[in-house]
Amino acid sequence: MSNEASASNAPDGLAKTEGERLFWGRLANWGPYQTLMSVVTLSPRRQFFILATFPILWLLTQHLGPMLQMLRVSLLDAYPIAPDVAQEFSLESYFKFFGDRIFWMPLFRTLIFAAVFTLSTLLITYPVAYFLARHVSRKNQMLMLLILLIPFWVGEIVRTYAIMILLGNTGALNLALKWLGLIDRPIPFMYTSFSMGLGIVYLTALYMLLPLYSALEKLPKSYNEAAADLGAGAWTRFRRVTLPLTIEGISSGCTLVFLISTGFYATPVLLGGPSTTVFAETIAGFFHVAGDEWPTGAAFAVIMFMVALLITGVFQRLMKSLRKGDSS
Amino acid sequence: MSRGNRIALACIYWAFVLYVFVPLILMILMGFKDSKFIGFPIRSWTLDWYTRIFSDAEVIQTFVYSVIISVLSTLISVAVGIWIAVLLEGRKFWGRAFIFGMMVLPALVPGIISAIAFRIYARWLEIEPGMGAIIWSHAVHNVPFVSLVVMARLSTLPKSQIEAARDLGADPLIAFLRITLPYLVPAILGASVFCLLLSFDDFVRSFFLGGYEPTLPVLIFAMLRSGMSPEINAISTVALVLTAAIGIWAERFTRKAKKGLT
Repeated sequence: MSNEASASNAPDGLAKTEGERLFWGRLANWGPYQTLMSVVTLSPRRQFFILATFPILWLLTQHLGPMLQMLRVSLLDAYPIAPDVAQEFSLESYFKFFGDRIFWMPLFRTLIFAAVFTLSTLLITYPVAYFLARHVSRKNQMLMLLILLIPFWVGEIVRTYAIMILLGNTGALNLALKWLGLIDRPIPFMYTSFSMGLGIVYLTALYMLLPLYSALEKLPKSYNEAAADLGAGAWTRFRRVTLPLTIEGISSGCTLVFLISTGFYATPVLLGGPSTTVFAETIAGFFHVAGDEWPTGAAFAVIMFMVALLITGVFQRLMKSLRKGDSS
Repeated sequence: MSRGNRIALACIYWAFVLYVFVPLILMILMGFKDSKFIGFPIRSWTLDWYTRIFSDAEVIQTFVYSVIISVLSTLISVAVGIWIAVLLEGRKFWGRAFIFGMMVLPALVPGIISAIAFRIYARWLEIEPGMGAIIWSHAVHNVPFVSLVVMARLSTLPKSQIEAARDLGADPLIAFLRITLPYLVPAILGASVFCLLLSFDDFVRSFFLGGYEPTLPVLIFAMLRSGMSPEINAISTVALVLTAAIGIWAERFTRKAKKGLT
């Protein structure tokens, strides 16, 4: 009814709502539509069935399907299957991984890198999120958060390239250091784990910042005030009140950043060097050449995903127990 | 909290702002350098690189190709994502946790693994690498983001509104189209823009599922592998300005729409 009241002031609005109403009325009274709806809405059970069928089929075939097919291919002895040869299951591809240092070393390196980058991201973004949530007025909070979001809308490749320009031998950082008189010769920042780390932290910072910010923002200021009244100093308040209550944000941010960090391909290729080959490059190598290496690539991807999930699973458990231990 | 603490935190914040902005600003500046060599200092300036890329048919074609891919994949993601969100939000049924898990899966799988899983699956389905394969992989990858945003919005819709519509004789479909869908508009818009940007910026899936025709990030990657050039800066800057502008516009628009509709 409020629609009509507001529409009487504006003739255009009236015409629009009138037209709309006619359309919906006509649809509701249209024979085939009525038949369809009477079939569909016969029982709540049938309604649910019709609502659920498509999403469940989509999720099974599109979300789960690719992962299961990858698992299947990883267990085959050859793929694609030659026309007259029977396909056989084998664990050969998995054994291959443990057999050669050039295979398991990159995975080990990737996991170490990802852990270090995740920790760096946490240490860099926690004060930023803390400042935004606790020291900035509500009105400015959104604006100051929005400023930080802008660079993160820019793609992975463009941001990686920006880091290349910053760190190159004739890049801005070397120029600035030279100008300050700190160095005579440019420092080769590029193609090291440092350049790769700076690039990856640049790409993942947002995924850490947002969970931390929302955890800190939810935390009532009164908790800190109460602790202060009871005589706790700034550091104690942070360690005993703020930190334990934002563990959930830390845990989800770290999990997300860790998983994402293990999966970067272009950034390590462009910013890293021969000594920083990550597992993503190893996996990709099996897909550049002709198809018969696919089972190995698939097996390596399965191994990496399983190990990454295991690590994040253990990590989340640990964080949970930490939280419980603190609150008791 | 003491003043010193506050100032230190403010300094960290602004240092972080510098960290995320300076590389991009340097990259933009380098696109105006009147020399083929990437590096500082910049002594003279030019717009040549921009005129060159705007008259380069390959760049324009790649750009159009990327835009088509992101628009089509976004349409699929949004339609499917809304449907899944409507199924999951506020309903309790057997296996819901499992369905929720499957829904978020593509967002959690590390990039390279997701790309090769799609590559293997596309081969199995006999989808040739190329535009269709890229659109499909982007669409699947972006569904969780739509579903999560729409579910968050859906959870704030007062149930009484739907009940009122049903009492007045609307069937479930019409109640959905006339009450739920208009209420979801800000979330759908925000999610669509997010999908558009994710798809337009995506490298790893486009790289592994692409045919001979590259998307914009794949083109920039290929150019970078054969050496840096200010031309790349010009292309990257155009992409950057476009994505940032769309992002800011969407942020403002969704905020306004939310205020207007609630």
